[in-house]
Amino acid sequence: MQSPELILFAAGSNAALITFLLYTLAVFGIAVFSNQMLKGKSFLSEYFLGSRGLGVWAFALTFAATSASGGSFTGFPSKIYAHGWVLALWIGAYVVVPICTMGLLGKRINQVARISGSITVPDVLRDRFDSARFGLMAVVLIVFFMVFNLVAQFKAGAMILKTLLSDVDIFHRSAEFFYTVMEPWSFLGTDSEYLICLLAFGIAVIIYTTYGGFHAVVWTDVMQGIVMVVGVLIMLPLAIMMVNDLAAKDDSNDVSGMAYVTQEMSRLVPPVPTEAQLQISSPSNTGRLISAGTWIATVGDNGTPRLFRTGNDVEIGSGQRITTAEVPVEMIELVNASDIKQILGNPDIYTIVDDLQLVGATQNPYKYGGSPEHQGTYVTGPGPSPDSDIGFLPLSLAFSFFFMWAISGAGQPSSHVRLMAFKNTDTLKKAIFTVAIYYTLIYFPLVMIFCCGRLLMPGMEMESDRVMPAMAVFLTEGIGMGWLAGLLVAAPFAAVMSTVDSFLLMISSAIVRDIYQRNINPNASEAKIKKMTYAVTVIVGTAAMLGAVNPPQFLQDIIVYTGSGLAACFLAPTVFMLYWPRSNKHGCMIGMLCGFAAHFSMYFLGVFTNGSFFKPHRFIDMDPIIVGLFVSFLATYVGCLISPPPPQQLVKKYFYKRKELQKT
Amino acid sequence: MQGESVSENDGIELYTDELDPTFVNSRREACIIFGAWLAALCWCIPYCYLNGYNVTDPENISITFGMPSWVVWGIAIPWIVADVFTVWFCFFYMKNDDLGVSPEELVASKVEGNK
Repeated sequence: MQSPELILFAAGSNAALITFLLYTLAVFGIAVFSNQMLKGKSFLSEYFLGSRGLGVWAFALTFAATSASGGSFTGFPSKIYAHGWVLALWIGAYVVVPICTMGLLGKRINQVARISGSITVPDVLRDRFDSARFGLMAVVLIVFFMVFNLVAQFKAGAMILKTLLSDVDIFHRSAEFFYTVMEPWSFLGTDSEYLICLLAFGIAVIIYTTYGGFHAVVWTDVMQGIVMVVGVLIMLPLAIMMVNDLAAKDDSNDVSGMAYVTQEMSRLVPPVPTEAQLQISSPSNTGRLISAGTWIATVGDNGTPRLFRTGNDVEIGSGQRITTAEVPVEMIELVNASDIKQILGNPDIYTIVDDLQLVGATQNPYKYGGSPEHQGTYVTGPGPSPDSDIGFLPLSLAFSFFFMWAISGAGQPSSHVRLMAFKNTDTLKKAIFTVAIYYTLIYFPLVMIFCCGRLLMPGMEMESDRVMPAMAVFLTEGIGMGWLAGLLVAAPFAAVMSTVDSFLLMISSAIVRDIYQRNINPNASEAKIKKMTYAVTVIVGTAAMLGAVNPPQFLQDIIVYTGSGLAACFLAPTVFMLYWPRSNKHGCMIGMLCGFAAHFSMYFLGVFTNGSFFKPHRFIDMDPIIVGLFVSFLATYVGCLISPPPPQQLVKKYFYKRKELQKT
Repeated sequence: MQGESVSENDGIELYTDELDPTFVNSRREACIIFGAWLAALCWCIPYCYLNGYNVTDPENISITFGMPSWVVWGIAIPWIVADVFTVWFCFFYMKNDDLGVSPEELVASKVEGNK
């Protein structure tokens, strides 16, 4: 068995580069094909909604891939690795997510969009209530949330690409050259590798989304969806096979497969976060760089071996005497005998540094899971947590996540657009079933795979976001099929790409359709609309890409804030609009604003109670989305009741049978 | 395309007093789906909490199919049950309702008819 970092290097990972290039070529091909489909059809309807003609596979996979986002293949595996089996409960709502997110609103929103001729989400709200003001309010909120989200997603895409190409020689040489070019422009930062990845990722997405429109986005989503599920289905048996190899070498245990994983995990204790200065005990004439991920072995007071792994680069200066690095380095100390044995027992595979001493070490054990009374924390709830003394997933948060995935997932405007695009009810029925099977094949196997990963690749807590690509390379090299890694590592890249293109198109449609065409120039010619659509998509994409050059720090937090914020604003008005004839524009607008305010206030309160906007205040330990949705539903209901009833024509149009239909 | 403006084109007289069947069916189906979510919530979280939290002897935790038993009975089996429910709901319960014709589909069919 080889260490992940050695394998990543040894593989040369040209497979990743080739995969990326093939991938980019394929999406461009799809964009060209999609552009051909635009000819002879109503441009806006085709460009932004695919002329409401999506079939089962296209509808199912674009829905699944857009919902999945980069988080499913970077953040989720990282959490499984760090917290263990409790992630099965964290993701538990996915048992009903497909039927909830597609079935709760799908049929009805599609019907209402057809009756009104709406192409976008603000369109539906505007037409359903015959209120331009409501439409504009929806546009403002969508653009506000989506722009922030888009910047964060661009950063996520660039980071994943950087990870994928981290061992490609030509990539490093290009980055070195690029560094010299960008040096005079300080606003570009200093990370030339990130910048190259951002440009490659951003330009590719902007070009194919702009040129191909909705169909390009949908069909690339289909391709990306297939890549994701195939990647997972290949990884699961490989992971179990590797675990069996590990179990065969372990004399203390007579089980294998997942049972071995669970038994071993029940004995694991989280690593101990440590901060210390590194000191070279032997004189040196040259400086020495200790890079992130270096294994450092020392001897404890009682002669037992101790094993640390560094989390960041540190340079130790030259000197004829004992030399100490000026800056402390963040590390983790592995405390499980099996992990230590696995690393130290393979010196030809794992590079161990043993001539360093730790000076002034301070250790901060996990607040939950780091003490003996929390033994077995990786196989029980609430799971280990370095910074929360009630654990990773207390009961209140488990409830919040059950609510968040299934119910607030139904409130995402990006999902609503897709629900407006399917062909007929039969397509919806088959697509719900397809997505249900698709999620079953992805999410639970991911929990199993990365529980295996916790045993196979110890010590990755400080770079757990890299666990997915590292695991892909580790598994495929283990069976001598390194080329396969290219396909597997494409999965997270595909996931983030499919989210970015959808969001880009949503913002563009909001500006062109909802602001320009419906409010500024209703008589604009199709040629003018077409030019404007292309221009706006390019401008928005480029602006988001530039925003990601110096991206905000709290990537995942922004994605969570915007996703839950959109649900807090849109779910209640949409539900009432579709299912309650008494609903009116006043009530729904009040509900939308109150949802926004309640959700935002929880984050704003976080500044005072937790010291950061992105550490929101949790009312009775609940996520802000629960507060936002509760307030929004209540405000919409009360707002509708205390304001005048809606015009009778609107109620008749959207809730009653047409006389013409009776004749046919 | 502007869609049909209610005040301009449609009058109350164009509609019957009967609720639209697609709306009625969608509302009923939405209630069933919400019930399914509630049932999943009421099973998964209490079961996992009662059996997977505060375990007295985690080193000898009960294992089923290689996984902690609380994960299997609290999440994996309900997942399969939910998939079976989805099959029943989609193929045996959900109605094949008419979603109507959008303005652009109407235009396209007219163009097709004129050829």
